[in-house]
Amino acid sequence: MSLLSVAGITKRFGGVTANRDVTFDVARGELVGIIGPNGSGKSTLFEIISGFYRPDAGEVRLDGGPLTGLSPDRVCRLGVARTFQKLRPFAGLTVVDNVMVGALTRTRDVRHARSRARELLDRVGLGEKADAHARTLSTGQRKRLELARALATEPRVLLLDEVTGGVDQRSIPGLVQLVRDLHRGGLTLLVIEHNMRVITAVAPRIVALYLGEKIADGTPDAVTRDPRVVDAYLGQAYTR
Amino acid sequence: MRSTWPAVTFFAAAALGPIVVRDAFLLDGLILILLWGATAASWNVAGGYAGQVSLGHAAFFGLGAYSAALLGTRWAVSPWIGLLVGAGLATGFGFILGFLSNRLRGPYFVLATIAFSQVLLIVASRWRGFTSGSEGIPVPFRPGFWTLGIADKRAWVYLVLVLAALLYLVQLYLERSRRGYQLAAVREDEDAALSLGVPARRLKVAAIAASAALTAACGTLWAQYVGFVDPYYVFSVDLSVRFCLAAILGGIGTPLGPFLGAALITILETSLRARFGGIGAGLVGIYLIIYGVVLIVTMRFAPQGLLPWIAEHRRRRAPLGTTA
Repeated sequence: MSLLSVAGITKRFGGVTANRDVTFDVARGELVGIIGPNGSGKSTLFEIISGFYRPDAGEVRLDGGPLTGLSPDRVCRLGVARTFQKLRPFAGLTVVDNVMVGALTRTRDVRHARSRARELLDRVGLGEKADAHARTLSTGQRKRLELARALATEPRVLLLDEVTGGVDQRSIPGLVQLVRDLHRGGLTLLVIEHNMRVITAVAPRIVALYLGEKIADGTPDAVTRDPRVVDAYLGQAYTR
Repeated sequence: MRSTWPAVTFFAAAALGPIVVRDAFLLDGLILILLWGATAASWNVAGGYAGQVSLGHAAFFGLGAYSAALLGTRWAVSPWIGLLVGAGLATGFGFILGFLSNRLRGPYFVLATIAFSQVLLIVASRWRGFTSGSEGIPVPFRPGFWTLGIADKRAWVYLVLVLAALLYLVQLYLERSRRGYQLAAVREDEDAALSLGVPARRLKVAAIAASAALTAACGTLWAQYVGFVDPYYVFSVDLSVRFCLAAILGGIGTPLGPFLGAALITILETSLRARFGGIGAGLVGIYLIIYGVVLIVTMRFAPQGLLPWIAEHRRRRAPLGTTA
């Protein structure tokens, strides 16, 4: 039984179709990577799953229950958390307060939320920065903060938008390891990633989008060899 | 987490005021500081904690002032009932404004709040049959606590002190509770807050409605203390700015800041007016110029407000003190 099911999602912005009839299922505990060149509709799909956009057609279901049409905060409380491609920390709050906001979605007890937030910060390797203001963090640290914040809402499915995007090379392995650990811990993940080396190493299954449509779905090997994927990334000249 | 001892000192000093001071002028100043502080604190609930800056809060203040004054003069209803009616009306209008805040952001919301207070001004000044129009309403003086006919200024100090302390506690709640953390998240980044399960829209509306009701309660007490309600004063943009200014000056989004800002503004205004008011026809407005300059200088050196500025300077000095 799939935990998250995306069925026939279509989304148009004026004359541009950002998603066209996108369908795939994510099983419990699975890690699925989403790839595609710029403008292929990956982020739009995330916005739809997390409730920020309403699709023109199609449906998203979590464990059989419909998510489409619900507000983002409801979607989160039902168990789908996300990070943002363009990072959005609460800059004026401390790092631990940032994470507490997530934790307070699951507990009413502020003290419990604080200890939970500190645990998570230790887990993502930001324990020492807990009392710093979020605006003082580096990009890599902000990625970790967003991860901790999303995890604090105790998601059943976690959507990660560009974990390694904009991060310096040295910080990438640590972040990748974090995602791996979450997957090993049994969390279901949907990961958008530009870095092909990263995504093929992390995701046992990859969905490829191009111009809003799903063009491939399978193992990293199969997807990266798929002529349509090669075509989408490199252009017609390279396909024989 | 900020410590509460400065607030305890502030309120204790205010409580000692009537015991130490007998001078009616000084007691009057103390009452006004506490009242304006409480009103600025009410504004702070929406403007500071929820990040919904309003320049129309005089509307709620006026609703509170008028509700009690009208019910008192026309039907001899107790101002306490008037206070509740005013707060109820303000809550209703606060909800409407709150829903607007979900549609309008930034300057558009601010403009909507100003327009809102102007509409109430027009209603109050034109509906002569009911509100007495631009003449305003004298609040009847009927001795007793239930009718708020209190001649003793010392009693008024304690009455508004209770109000001020209550508002301080409301703000403390907004700083330390679950809802407070969630509201801070909404203020910082509404979409990020939504993505973490925070019911951002509902919280914003609730904060604005609560802020409106509290402001109305302050308006009622103010009108009962001063004894007269003038539509051009209670619904003026000047007054709205004053609430906002006190909070910003003292430290927006801090529980003690509005009281500190109100104290500064009230003392500055009263003393400057007393000092320079009678200086001669050519210099009648000079106190306003000095007042403006002081505000500009303060914001230049403490843009976050006085309270955060003081806290920062103490922190910088602290390591020296401990190693000595």
